[in-house]
Amino acid sequence: MKKLLTVAFAIAMTTASFNTFAQSIDDVVKSHIKAIGGEDNWKKLKSMKTEMSMKAQGAEVKLSLWQVDKKALKVEINVMGMTGYQILTTADGWQFMPFQGQTKPEPMTADDVKTGQDQLWIQDEFITYKEKGKKLQDLGKDEVEGTECYKISLTDKDGKVTTYFLDASNYHTIKSISKLTANGKEVESTSLYSNYKPIEGGLVMPFNTSGDQGEMEVTSIVMNPVIDESIFKVAK
Amino acid sequence: MRKQVCTALVLVALFSNTFAQVTSSTFGIMEARALGPGTMSGRISAIEGVNNDEGKTIYVGTAGGGVWKSTNAGTSYKSIFDKYCQSIGAIGIDQKNPKTIFVGTGESNMRNSVSIGNGMYKSTDGGDNWKKIGLDSTEHIARIVVHPSNSDIVYAAVPGPLWNDSEHRGLFKSEDGGETWKKILFKNNKTGCAEILMDASNPNILFASMWQFRRQPFSFNSGGEGSGFYKSIDGGKTWKEINNGLPAKPFGRIAMNIAQSNPKKLIAIVESAKTGLYISEDGGETWKSQSATSNIEARPFYFSTIVIDSKDEKRVYRPAFTFAYSDDGGYSFSGASGDGGWVHSDMHALWINPVNTNIMYLGTDGGVYLSIDKGITWIFQQSLPVGQFYHVAIDNKEPYHVYGGLQDNGSWESPSSSPGGVGNANWNRLFGGDGFWTVPDADGNTVYAEYQGGNMARINLTTLKSENIQPKKTLKEEKLRWNWNTPIVLGSKNPKNLYVGAQYVFKSTDQGRTWNRISGDLTTNDKAKLKQEESGGLSADNTSAENHCTIFTIAESSLDENIIWAGTDDGNLQYTLNGGKNWINVSQNIAKTGIANQAWISSIQPSQFDKNTVYITLENHMYGDHKTYAAKSTDMGKTWTAFKCKDFTSFAHKIKEDPINKNLLFLGTEMGLFATLNGGDNWFKMKNNIPEFALVRDIQIHPKTHDLIVGTHGRGIYILDDIRAIRNLTSEITSQEVHLFETPDMVLNNGKFGWGGPEVSGGWGSGNAPETPTIDYYLKDRVSTGKATLQILDDKGNLVQEMPATIRKGINKVYWNLRGTPPKVAKGSTKMDGAGFTAPMVLPGVYTAKLKIGDKVYTTTLNCVHDNANKDLTPADRKLVFDKAMNLQKMYARLGVVVDSITEAQTKLKSDTVAYKKSRSNQQLVADLEKIRAELMATKQTSMFADEEKVRERISELYGTFCEMESKPNATQIQAIQDLELQLVEQENAFRKLKNKSTGMLIY
Repeated sequence: MKKLLTVAFAIAMTTASFNTFAQSIDDVVKSHIKAIGGEDNWKKLKSMKTEMSMKAQGAEVKLSLWQVDKKALKVEINVMGMTGYQILTTADGWQFMPFQGQTKPEPMTADDVKTGQDQLWIQDEFITYKEKGKKLQDLGKDEVEGTECYKISLTDKDGKVTTYFLDASNYHTIKSISKLTANGKEVESTSLYSNYKPIEGGLVMPFNTSGDQGEMEVTSIVMNPVIDESIFKVAK
Repeated sequence: MRKQVCTALVLVALFSNTFAQVTSSTFGIMEARALGPGTMSGRISAIEGVNNDEGKTIYVGTAGGGVWKSTNAGTSYKSIFDKYCQSIGAIGIDQKNPKTIFVGTGESNMRNSVSIGNGMYKSTDGGDNWKKIGLDSTEHIARIVVHPSNSDIVYAAVPGPLWNDSEHRGLFKSEDGGETWKKILFKNNKTGCAEILMDASNPNILFASMWQFRRQPFSFNSGGEGSGFYKSIDGGKTWKEINNGLPAKPFGRIAMNIAQSNPKKLIAIVESAKTGLYISEDGGETWKSQSATSNIEARPFYFSTIVIDSKDEKRVYRPAFTFAYSDDGGYSFSGASGDGGWVHSDMHALWINPVNTNIMYLGTDGGVYLSIDKGITWIFQQSLPVGQFYHVAIDNKEPYHVYGGLQDNGSWESPSSSPGGVGNANWNRLFGGDGFWTVPDADGNTVYAEYQGGNMARINLTTLKSENIQPKKTLKEEKLRWNWNTPIVLGSKNPKNLYVGAQYVFKSTDQGRTWNRISGDLTTNDKAKLKQEESGGLSADNTSAENHCTIFTIAESSLDENIIWAGTDDGNLQYTLNGGKNWINVSQNIAKTGIANQAWISSIQPSQFDKNTVYITLENHMYGDHKTYAAKSTDMGKTWTAFKCKDFTSFAHKIKEDPINKNLLFLGTEMGLFATLNGGDNWFKMKNNIPEFALVRDIQIHPKTHDLIVGTHGRGIYILDDIRAIRNLTSEITSQEVHLFETPDMVLNNGKFGWGGPEVSGGWGSGNAPETPTIDYYLKDRVSTGKATLQILDDKGNLVQEMPATIRKGINKVYWNLRGTPPKVAKGSTKMDGAGFTAPMVLPGVYTAKLKIGDKVYTTTLNCVHDNANKDLTPADRKLVFDKAMNLQKMYARLGVVVDSITEAQTKLKSDTVAYKKSRSNQQLVADLEKIRAELMATKQTSMFADEEKVRERISELYGTFCEMESKPNATQIQAIQDLELQLVEQENAFRKLKNKSTGMLIY
């Protein structure tokens, strides 16, 4: 069961990470925020609906993500003719992964709900990190796949560290590594971001993400859609 | 004419600049497999753990394999120091802030083969990120002690350089957490600090041992006037010698420890003319001699560890040649039991969990052992791949095997790939002692191996019986001088020629049964360097490690077996053009390039393209010179050009010329692997999942698989599979934005090991080489905007499969599974169905790979060919299997159409909920439709372990079987398709019937 949660969480984290960008020293942070559309535009983002597709050896998995800032998120996963989902709100979390053998929605543990709260923030990580009480550390420069990057980490109050690698030429986040201790063990998750495109509202987002789960492509993003919040409730 | 020359020069400069842009990251996608093994590990130099973590977090420092961290008390380890110097002397943990770790590079077990460090490093996040914090020129750091309550105060015991005088040694102290260091105890340029102890109850009380030592290539000296035993009671401001009761000076190395439960109690092994064990009960003021066995007192320069249980002053441990423990405060010792298996001899590190002192970790010359019973029995930790290879060799088997000899761990061999990947169990031990050259004979059943000092054998690979074949001297000859690492070499032109070297070259053409001496003494035979019996200093130590004026490397030209080169450890490079009748010494010509003429000739590579061209590496570190020396001659050694590169790090062991591209060279040094694509004009460090400062001792290139095989002295063997992407990268390609490489023929099969085989169980495991060639392309820059995909099209232009393409700067590799696109899975089942993830393997033919990057398209052809090696499957069988699989895929799709129609109809019928509730016939129809669905696919299953099976599951299972099939299908399998067709038709008919009956109600 823990494994299921981890997998679902990794997917959720990968998707949620679309909104997490970073950089190092103040000037770089400013350049980064400018590169992704500017703080003013980001602050207008209150909800989002994202459609994604993951392809592996010709097979396709489709994902839909609904996010309401600081309130809730839902990821729906369509695979092999079956639909599963994960829901996270400020109060609780649920998941249903029938392709992994689950026959009914199961609640997340209080710890997992607590750990996941960070993902409910839809804003760019570097716009909100201070508000969240995270500590920023400049780790100098590093290289990601031959591309020179600024390396920066953000550490939250519980010790969860996410390290971001910003392309030094355009300030886009091209890699992140999240590391946390869960259930007594260290879990590390790496994502790579590419294909940055402007979307409505002046925001710039990566349309391709690859991580431990495979390569995911964003097929559509809608900014500030009206989301019926009943989708975040589970029929018990 | 002048203009043409100018143009040519510009072009050369352009291409040269283009290659200058080639860096390690150009080939970063190509990640070497760390073959390990963990069967035999390597020398461990430091072990430290976090005190208040239930003993779970442990750091292991190794002689040449960096730092490894375990967060589960040793069940698994992760390498955390891959970007830095791999030779580790000491690890210090700030127990107050245990994420703060100090690593002192440069091991301090001062044997002949010890590597060097480049300073002190600090991490404040448990080893994720490191910062270099000074002591850069110290080369060896023996101990780091962090003040228990003031994290700013750190001490470093620094023996300093082994091979030369230096001021960079002594006891150092930092009062700002390592930002700056002050030398607080120093004797002279020959004497360093070998140990520092702190009384944890009063951290101002310190004990330090100063040690005078020196190695030369031909001797070792431990001891001298600089050595001494010191105590400070003011945090190192002032020191006094503590000699009362100790033997007469001069001292050598002192191993010592303090009982933290009773800090008045100290124990020490003092090397002197009368080396012995000493105990103090008054804080080191007076000492009492205590008799001890030779194991307790042996080899003080190498066994410098003695530890007192932090809770029990009577429990004392002496890890040395073997492991001994005392229950009476060191007055008597017992040996560990062998009940947990043999414990590797030669021990250097011991960490005892201070919370539960029954649990301890021991570092030996062969890895880490764990004891949970106070050191009485030990269990080997099998997952540390830090073996110290001196050489690596390969054969022509399928898959090929790798062979190599390791420091203190004998000679071994393993297949380069194996079902499930290469694991510890794949390795076979061939010979004992310290292993060096381990060379497979072309006959496939013989290998030549040796242990230190030229003790060589011919080994039968079937029986593993060995016969000693070492040539003996005749009455007319001087005593034979065999290097510690004696060359055993097969002819590159004529593999029946077996060469070995003492000060003479010997040749055998009958597998070492008879020998001909084919040279005179090729060394300088300098008598001043031949006094090995005097080696050791206060304690005699001459284990053949100091043998000198010997031949160190031999190479036969691959173009002419009469051209043989030999290089010595005292600077001579000689060749013969007539199989050994005459030899010509060209060492003075090398010296003209500025390379010291006593430098060891560490490797010779006669060019495979030109008889007169030869490459060599030289190394002079035993004279305190760490520069990288590699040179080329194109005129049989008359003149030399030294290769230069500002990025070169440390002394060179090996140069290797690619057998296909004469401009591709690889260079192995004590701190990294380098390559050049333009004959040595520009070099770059190869990372490729190989630690950046790996001690690269040997390099091979497999002629069939094009693999680069790297033998490291501390990280085992690495295989970089198929380097053709490196070999084929030309300056013309790197000047393009995008280049799609030609792909070798793609053989249609499921790979050598079919489903892959069982996973390696425990220990160290490496994956196998990719079984299908990848589709490779070069990108001048990372793609930052636009999508990248790769499509496979058949000869009619139909899409076979589309996959995401990578976008990294440099070489990219995309894997295609040689299959089409899996079918869509119909909705509505409660059971996972695998058919949606598989498709039949394509038929032989020419396909097109279409790389789309943003708006641009690049194409290449892919030639997919039948696997002629598979005798179970004819081309006709393959066609039959493919057709049947496609039959099943179509049936699967037909079934999907019915299911989707059912779903659609049901949705429609239920859409008007009010009407639906009133209409019995509609409700009946929905129920009847559901019955058909329930016949078509599993709908009842509620547990992942239940196995409900309906038409879809049967089709899916058979479809999967045909998709994986690599032999002619049997008759029952063919019949089963027909049976399933009937079952499907039955349900299709049922659906049609229902549809007809309900005309008007259902809309399609």
